[in-house]
Amino acid sequence: MKIVKLSKTNVFQFVDHLKSFGEVHAPQRKGKKSSAFQPVKDNSKLLLSDENYTRTILPIKKYFHKPIDTLLKFSPGKGFEDAYEEEEAKVLFGVHSCDISAILTLDRVFAGKYVDTYYFRRRKQIAIIGMSCIPDEYCYCHSMGTDFVEDGFDLFLSDIGESYLVKVGTSLGDDMVSTASDLFIDYDEKDTDEYKRRINEFPTLFVTKVDETNLPAILDMEYKSEIWEEMGDRCFNCGICSMVCPTCFCFDVNDELCIDGESGERKRCWDSCLFKSHAMVAGGHNFREKRSDRFKHRFLHKHQEFMGEFGRTSCVGCGRCTQDCPADIHFVGMVKRIKGDIACVYEGNNKK
Amino acid sequence: MPKPKVGIFSLTCCEGCQLEILNCEDELLDIAGAVDIVSFGMAQSNNPETALDIAFVEGTVVMESEVEILKAIRERSTTLIAIGACATYGGVAAMNYEVNRKELKEVVYGADAALIPSITPSPLHKFVKVDFSLQGCPIEKSQFLKLLGYLLHGDSPIFPDYPVCAECKRKENECVLVQHNIPCMGPITVAGCDARCPSHFNGCDGCFGPVDEANVAMEYHVMREKGMDNDEIRRMMHVFAPTAEVFKKDE
Repeated sequence: MKIVKLSKTNVFQFVDHLKSFGEVHAPQRKGKKSSAFQPVKDNSKLLLSDENYTRTILPIKKYFHKPIDTLLKFSPGKGFEDAYEEEEAKVLFGVHSCDISAILTLDRVFAGKYVDTYYFRRRKQIAIIGMSCIPDEYCYCHSMGTDFVEDGFDLFLSDIGESYLVKVGTSLGDDMVSTASDLFIDYDEKDTDEYKRRINEFPTLFVTKVDETNLPAILDMEYKSEIWEEMGDRCFNCGICSMVCPTCFCFDVNDELCIDGESGERKRCWDSCLFKSHAMVAGGHNFREKRSDRFKHRFLHKHQEFMGEFGRTSCVGCGRCTQDCPADIHFVGMVKRIKGDIACVYEGNNKK
Repeated sequence: MPKPKVGIFSLTCCEGCQLEILNCEDELLDIAGAVDIVSFGMAQSNNPETALDIAFVEGTVVMESEVEILKAIRERSTTLIAIGACATYGGVAAMNYEVNRKELKEVVYGADAALIPSITPSPLHKFVKVDFSLQGCPIEKSQFLKLLGYLLHGDSPIFPDYPVCAECKRKENECVLVQHNIPCMGPITVAGCDARCPSHFNGCDGCFGPVDEANVAMEYHVMREKGMDNDEIRRMMHVFAPTAEVFKKDE
């Protein structure tokens, strides 16, 4: 793996250079306390340092699997036509390892039996530049094994103080670096030591930790636990956790008709298994009738079924679901409680 | 095939829903091309009372005479659609629908109370069969146009049946409730407005009415944590959808 060093004083110049590879999107302020990946117009607005950007409101899945996506247009004269318009190449700058890991998970989901062309044609158009981070009280990526990624990025910037060590992951990443070679220098032994010191220290920075060993089996044994009813009483079924989850991928497809009553568009839209209609079938019958059934289903799909299908849980430990839950459900607390720590509260109570 | 005959009617209300239809400026010609607008009080003066394919009715029923007007519209219409919070849930006019009408009239009009012909403000479905309802105060014109498209195509309309929160997060809004402790009805209010109020840093007022299976007890719990008392919360829920079944059992 090629590794070079980028001084922090050269970062903005590098961002400008990246614009020749596509429209650069990076975390910037959204609202009063949050951040979001947005097009970069002014480099000074970038949130780069670990202090002011832990997680964006939505993960980067929004670029590949859009919240609302028009799939095709139809009309009596023309039949139907693909609604996809070739998008300008993009460069996502400053993606954390949990979100990169989530994209690798989505790759496997969308490359399943029926390959999702809508997802993959955007995937090809968008470069990913990762960046190291410092965990806050909601992060538990270390517990989920997603705190470091070995692939899934074109470049990955690791903070070593005054500079970043830049790992080159793809030939596109190599082009990005080699066409701006005067911005980079070779790293030395001291940089290697600092890099190793930081990665060794990293696991000690987590406040939130969870051990998911044996969880799939325990979830099976606790299928009829009263905890699900408790959670059903608490959960709004609002779907926020699904929307902000970097690996929730469900969508609903509907046709919208124009007022000529003939032409229209077919759209797909992020869906959630917490919604009542998600498992509703003809005649109004519902496979998951109660709020508690739906809460349990989402939890089991993340932490049990995914394990069977893909060999790992789909949770990457980004902390978004717990941070954003309006019912104050603490999902790590849930895991601990179900694993036997009955004193463990699953209410957040620590939100600001 | 002749164009479907459409009527747009108003009972007691601010007529904001009719205005929203009139506000479909870019689409008005298309609408006029697709349907025959027989009756539209706000937009035209000659409104004959003929048989209709689709009747859109806004407003709350607050007088006996309106019950008769509504029944007559139902009688001559194949499809009747309630539009807006008033027609669907009684709306603002029904905010105190549980208070004894006679006593209320006496408080407001004193000795003349008996002259006021008002009855308990009620949504349309209390008197006639309603085939479909468009939510909101006022309705969203995008939903009106979508509904018209579905109807003209002969399809059952498909609208969101999940809370505003989902729509709000799809827009990547910062949560006013979680991040800023602003009272918000988003978790129990049905989506369809594109999270209009939270997108402008206001809590959702619930004008679209409750989502199916709304977790009202939890909304009480969360709002109490934000500093409201039960009475304030109850009143917040009763502004737009006072007659909703789910709001009858509270706390």
